[in-house]
Parts: sequence; C-alpha cells; structure tokens
Amino acid sequence: MTSTVLFYLLSVVSIVFALGVLFNPNPIFSALYLVLTMIGMSLMFFNLEAYFIGGVQLIVYAGAVTVLFVMVLMLFDLKKEKQAFTKGLFSSLLKYFSAGALLFMISGASLMSMGLMTEGAEKAEPITTKQLAALLFTDYFFAFEVLGIILLVVAIGAVTISRIRGGTHAK
Amino acid sequence: MGSDIFEISVNAVKIVALFLLMVQIVPLLVWVERRGSAFIQNRFGPNRVGPLGLTQLLADAVKFIFKEEFIPEKGRAFIFYAAPVVALLPATLAFVSLPLSAPVNVETFEMFGQSWGPYTFQFQGFDFGLGIVYVLGVSSLATYSMLMAGWSSSNKFSLFGGLRASAQMISYELALGLSIVGILILYGTFDFKTMIAAQQGALSFHFFGEMVTIPFLPNWGIFYQPLGAVLFLVAVFAESNRLPFDLPEAESELVAGYHTEYGGMKFNMFFIGEYGHMLVASALMAIFYFGGYNIPFVTPEQLSGFLEGFGYVGTTNSLMTSFLLHLCMFLKILFFLWVFIWVRWTLPRFRYDQLMDLGWKTMLPWALANTIITAIVVFVMRM
Amino acid sequence: MSVLVPILFITVFVVLFGAFLVFVTSKLGPKPKQSDLRKEAYECGLPAQESGSSKVPVKFYLTAILFILFDIEIIFMYPWAIQFADSITQGYGLQMLIAMGLFLLVFIFGLFWEIKSKALEWE
Repeated sequence: MTSTVLFYLLSVVSIVFALGVLFNPNPIFSALYLVLTMIGMSLMFFNLEAYFIGGVQLIVYAGAVTVLFVMVLMLFDLKKEKQAFTKGLFSSLLKYFSAGALLFMISGASLMSMGLMTEGAEKAEPITTKQLAALLFTDYFFAFEVLGIILLVVAIGAVTISRIRGGTHAK
Repeated sequence: MGSDIFEISVNAVKIVALFLLMVQIVPLLVWVERRGSAFIQNRFGPNRVGPLGLTQLLADAVKFIFKEEFIPEKGRAFIFYAAPVVALLPATLAFVSLPLSAPVNVETFEMFGQSWGPYTFQFQGFDFGLGIVYVLGVSSLATYSMLMAGWSSSNKFSLFGGLRASAQMISYELALGLSIVGILILYGTFDFKTMIAAQQGALSFHFFGEMVTIPFLPNWGIFYQPLGAVLFLVAVFAESNRLPFDLPEAESELVAGYHTEYGGMKFNMFFIGEYGHMLVASALMAIFYFGGYNIPFVTPEQLSGFLEGFGYVGTTNSLMTSFLLHLCMFLKILFFLWVFIWVRWTLPRFRYDQLMDLGWKTMLPWALANTIITAIVVFVMRM
Repeated sequence: MSVLVPILFITVFVVLFGAFLVFVTSKLGPKPKQSDLRKEAYECGLPAQESGSSKVPVKFYLTAILFILFDIEIIFMYPWAIQFADSITQGYGLQMLIAMGLFLLVFIFGLFWEIKSKALEWE
C-alpha cells in the first residue's frame, strides 16, 4: 500500500524535475534539476526493493555523472554557445526533429510495455546482490570483460581529446 | 516505520534524536578543537567564559544567530540560500543509517488500559541491508552543496574553492571506495550489523583450511586489513575536507573557499555538515576496523547475562545492554574524532598537485594491491 | 512498509529545520545602511570579477571523466567482493577469481596508462 502511493508520488516528482531540466533556460539550473531527477530514480529503485541498483544509481549517476555536468557548466559560462544553439534555421530544425524523435520513442516504449502489466500478475521475488554477483561473474563473464575494455577505451579517448590543441577549450 | 502508533512515534522520535545528536555534538567538538589546538600549541585557548571556557559555546551560538544578513549583489539568491541546507543532508542521511548499538527488545506492557506489543527497536534510523553502499551513495552527494555555494556566490574565490573541493572529493572517493573492497571480501556483506557481529570474540581465521585462534587479541578488522584501514583513514580525511586536505578553503590562496560569502548561521550549517562527515567517518572506522559496538572479548549475550545476575531482566536488561554497548561505540567514535583534531593541528597543508598525486598515483594503486592480495590470500586460505 | 518512509521523513525534517534556521536568522540580524561597496563580493578589495569569465584548466574536466570511469569499475567489484568467500565454498571460486583478475588487469593497464601519459599531472 505505502509503496504503491510512494511509487506514484515519486513518479510525479521525477517527471516534474525532468520537465524542469527541459524547460529551464539556465543550463546550471537544468543540471541541478537533473540531479534531483537522478535521486528520484534511485528512490524508485529503493521502493521496488532493488536496493543495490538504487545505491549504484545514487553513486554513479547522482554522485558522479551529474557532478561532471554541473562542474563543467559552472566552469564555462555558456552564454555564446547557448545563443548559437537557440538561434538560426538549422538549430530550430534540429530542435523540432529531436522533439519528434523523443515523442516517437516514448510512444514506442509505452506501446511495447502495454502487455507487460496485467492484473493479478505474480510479484517476482527480488534477487539479492549475492545472486546478482553469482550470475554476473559466471554466466555473463564475457559481457563483463568486454565492459572493462570499453571503459578503458573511453578513458584513453577522453585523455586524447583533452590533448588536442586549438578549439575553444584547449589548454 | 512501524505497525502501531507507539512503534511509529518511537521510531520517528529516534531518527530525529539521532539528527539532533549530530547537530549537538558540533559545538562540543568546536570546544575540543579549540582547547585541543591550544594544548598542542602550548597555549590556553578559550578559558574565560565559564568553567574551562565551556559557556563560550553559548556565546558563539548567540553570535551565529544575530549576525548581519548578507548576499553578494550578483549572487543567485535561491541557490545561495539552498546550499547550506543541502550541506546538512548527506551527513545526516549517512549518520542515521549507522547502527550505534545493539537492538532494544521491549516486552509486552500495559499503557492507557491497552496491551502493547513486544517490539524490537534498532539503534539506528533505518536498516535495509545496503549498509556501506547507501552511505557511499549519499556521501557522494556532498559535492553539490559546495558547487552550489561556490557558483551562487558569484565570487571567483568561492567558485575556485567549490571546484577544487569537488575535484578533490571525487579523486579520493575512488581510493575510499577501493580501500573497503578488502573488508567486503572478508565479511561477505554490505550490512553493518553483520560486520559487527563477525568481529566478536578472539582473533580467529582460516589458515590453509584450519581454524587458528589467537586468544589475546580481539577479532577486529584492523588485524586483517591494516593497509586498508590506513588508506580508508586517509581517504575519509580528504572526503571531510579536513587538514591536511583542506585545499578547498585554503586561507592563504582562496580566502575561505566556497563559503567566503557566508556568515552567521548559514556558515554554521556548512560547519555542521563538515563535522557530520567527521562523525560518520569515525563511526565507519569503528564499525569496519575496531569491532563496532562490541566490547572486546564480551558478546552482547554475555553482557546481558551479566546484568541479569544483578536482577535486571526483560526490557530494563535490554535497555541497559544497549546503553553500555552504545557507550563503548561512542568511546571509539570519540577517539577517532580526537585523531581528526590531533592531525589537523600537527600536519601542514598539502599543495594541490601533491594532493592529486597522492590520491591518484599513491593511494589508488595501493588500494588496488590491497584488494588483490586480500582476494588471493582468502582464496588460498579457504581452499 | 517501504524503507523509504523513514528516509523521506528525515529528509523533509532536515530541509525544514535548515530552511527555518536560515529564514529566522536572516530576520534577526542588524540591518545597517546598504551601499554599493557593501554589497560587492569579497575578492580581497579588488573590484569583483564576474564568475565564469576566467579561464579554467581543462584538468578539472578530465579528472571528473576519469573519476566516472574508475568509479564504475570499482562499483562492479562490490557484488563480486561480497560473493567471493561464498563462491569458494560453493566451488566456483576460481572462476570468480579469474573473472575479476582479467577485469583488474584491464583496470591496472588503464591506470598506469593514465599515469604514464601525464593525464594526471597537476603543475
């Protein structure tokens, strides 16, 4: 009962914050709204008793990825870049195109998930972190190793890009 | 939070009391810090107002309340006022999830002509078995209050203080996260109470498939993970922005860092946040490496049996056991808080490049080595 | 009963407590006469610069990106760490050790590459 109420409450709050990300004209406020959205998501995971995933969401997304966004936006006051993006024919076309693509994806996702929620469906037993580990490091061994290599490639790429001289934000 | 009105109200009062405990310990720690620094530097410190200068705390509180209100002209008002409030949250949310003593069992009793339950009250705000992952998660949100304060002040010292703070905190979060992997391998759980229960009794471990017991040492994590304990301690110093890692507020370079423009109660709230992080760090040190609320060589059951010998049974027995264990935990926490103060007045501050080098090039590889060695040793010993 | 109830309860309590303190103390203090100089941000007496107009090293940005990557790798070690001792008694300990060993090899290679490429130098 409580968790159902909390589910709807958290959904509404998260969606409001997500709309705040979209409609706030100041990019820093947008990023702060994004933080709140991420925290809302992790609370949703806690509510669904997926505690470890909720904690990971908190550490990685709320505590790491959005820190990067907020930090970078505070570093570079994006006044010129913002105007360059919001004016002109090309960028307005781009805006409408991305809004359309987003709408398409949202409706597609809702259509696909239509049949999943049925009345009286049995509640799946939440698996523990230990079971998750036992699966991840035996059955999904290969995917796990590939992930390590992808992270390495991203790290090398980031360092290489930051080395390129010229451009607006070079050293 | 509970099934009936009594349980719900006790739990609500308990969680608020834990928060107030965190807030109330700050003035005492400030007094200890000032007297302690004076002791270390062969001075007197505050000794005029009241006995041992203790009522100085009240004078400080009055001053905090009646300071002039100030916001820089170009500051962003909402974020500027929100930042100190946000600073309170991570430390509080982490602190109320720590178990400070064994649970209290309340037996059935009569009140208002009605019989009330047996209950079990945990000595912590809430417990859902996620333990350290939850604490790391909420602590990682502490960066935002500094970034918000630094940016909204529209002062370049503040902004740089906030940026430095966040870069430092994220760098040491890696070493912090990696230094506890060894402890997780040993205890096989995220949950604090299971970890504490595993540290009862005398030191005993698997040695090539045989159990070895050393009767004169307690079964504390420090004896299994000495390197991990040192790395963890250094990393939490950096996480709570204490000297020798207080680069975000290095006075000689940045005035006061991200809280340059804050005064009065708003400044005090950043202060409470910082001391709250120290409190959480000390409690985590005690839980991971020094047996938590266990009294060495005495299990909670033995203590409870000992108290029964004096005629305390039922609810009173459980309350007294819990209180004594809490006292033990608190002594350990106080010791580490003193270590924080001791180090602050002993070591000079790092330079920024030294700080980053220490975090990335020294602590991270050592923490990795600790993890690998622990894994291999556990594997070989348990074969 | 959801575990979120106490979390949300203490969060709301702390926010209200903090907001109350900030609000009340802002009303209680003295109100001296305002002037332009008084309202200026404190930058050691120099005229205040607008924030963001100064150049900031790209290093902060790079540090944050590398932090995210290593953080994800460390997060993957947590479920592995709590299952490792159990996996030895259940008989697939070697497999777990090899899985994490390969992952750590990549991790160590990455870390030493970062150190060697001077991406982590702050001068």
